[in-house]
Amino acid sequence: MEERRDTFRRHARRALSAAFAGAAIAGVAQACELPPGTRVESQRLALSYRTIPRQIAVGEQFVLEFSACAKAGTALPGGVKLDAYMPEHRHGMNYRASVNPMGGGRFRSEGWLFHMPGRWELIFDLGGERLTHSVRIE
Amino acid sequence: MTRLALAALLALAAAANAVAQLLDFSDAELRAILHHGPWPAPWSPDPSNRVSGSPEAIAFGEHLFFEPRLSPSGKVLCATCHAPFRAWQDARARAFGLAEAERNTQSLFNVRHNRWFGWDGAGDTLWAQSIRPILEAREMGGSQAEAAVLVRGDPELACRFRRTFGEPPPAADEDVLAGIGKALAAFQETIVSGRSPFDDFRDALSRNDFSSMKKYPEAAQRGLRIFVGRGNCSACHFGPAFSNGEFHDTGVPFFVRGGVDPGRHGGVKKLRANVFNLLGAHNDDRSGSSAVKTRQVALEHRNFGEFKVPSLRNVAQTAPYMHNGSLATLADVVRHYSGINADRLHSDGESLLKPLRLSAGEAADLVAFLESLTEIASVLPPRRPGPACR
Repeated sequence: MEERRDTFRRHARRALSAAFAGAAIAGVAQACELPPGTRVESQRLALSYRTIPRQIAVGEQFVLEFSACAKAGTALPGGVKLDAYMPEHRHGMNYRASVNPMGGGRFRSEGWLFHMPGRWELIFDLGGERLTHSVRIE
Repeated sequence: MTRLALAALLALAAAANAVAQLLDFSDAELRAILHHGPWPAPWSPDPSNRVSGSPEAIAFGEHLFFEPRLSPSGKVLCATCHAPFRAWQDARARAFGLAEAERNTQSLFNVRHNRWFGWDGAGDTLWAQSIRPILEAREMGGSQAEAAVLVRGDPELACRFRRTFGEPPPAADEDVLAGIGKALAAFQETIVSGRSPFDDFRDALSRNDFSSMKKYPEAAQRGLRIFVGRGNCSACHFGPAFSNGEFHDTGVPFFVRGGVDPGRHGGVKKLRANVFNLLGAHNDDRSGSSAVKTRQVALEHRNFGEFKVPSLRNVAQTAPYMHNGSLATLADVVRHYSGINADRLHSDGESLLKPLRLSAGEAADLVAFLESLTEIASVLPPRRPGPACR
């Protein structure tokens, strides 16, 4: 009887530990949950962005909206800067994209225009940590 | 008879083979070619100009375009430099109104498709850009007050102003001048070029219409291949208007009498200082979206010596070339890019331009392609003086 009680306690402890671990994972996932979009990650940060219009066209202005979070569930580092660069041509955009916080780790950025076809590198600088993503436009 | 028919068949087959070989564009080349159309390109009225597209404004703008009194000298009108019979430019190396300026007069063909106006892009709208030469000492040499007095005092102009804007010329000179610019812009928005042999070829390509494709000369096809391929010309001369609308340093000297022409660097500074820019009170676009480019435009060191990429439609009609009119023919332009001095370009700038080292035949092919961008027929209505305004 005593043995059965110990076995029950052991199982209960395991179940509880698993539940706590699950809750911890769920907690992190919840803290860094991003809306659908193109996902870009570094070791500590993750973001998801989309452009309006969805298809970037050469010489056409577009808006970029993104959500970012720290994977550890901590606060997002302050100081968000965005830019883009054409590595093959060694130049960036002719415009400086604005960044407007919308709350909850969401941002809206205006002033985007890729004036040449080819590969562009989107640069998200979140508190000094750079996340980059390459896009090719024709 | 049989021999003749056989010879004819062989000749036809040879011709067909020759064209078929030339039409063997790669997928990447095909995609690049298709980006240069369709033509005419879609266009919608300028939201910053409440009379853009209005027939009354177009008529008023046309009247003003040929109005010599906008220059207090009475000798210079918009059409002095933008002559309709010279592809809306002046065929001179450098513009000459009341005196010689430092830059070449750009054609007004398809000007409505621009994002920035002028070689340095100091204008963010066609209406703001239309005001500039009225006030420029070497062009029309006028002033805000003189232009306003003219429009208020002349019954014909005052009537046209009222008909266009629904109110008489206002008391503030600046408001009258903005109105003049907007009417001038409405007229210039109608100056579009017709379809060219290239457009027929491009559209035939898009629908696999081989018999129509064959009408496009072989030399032009070879030149087109250089344009979208090895030459990389379409990186900047992009899209249906053959311009990405932005600014580049192409190795053309920017020294002028007594100094240097700062190009885009000076253009951004002038843009920011202009009361008629899109951030100012004269922008009719209440949504604010048209002003984003002006608010976000960057001023970079590399902008020094950059000039706007001109459209290439009807380019064969708009000699001489480059921002200072220093190249007399299209062959000279091709020669410039073929032997461009890469050391002349900004060291921190783009590494896109490299000497093409074209053979004489290739250079001729590229010229043949550029000539194929000439409209087959004008689509502009004949100019007739309208009835007097009552």
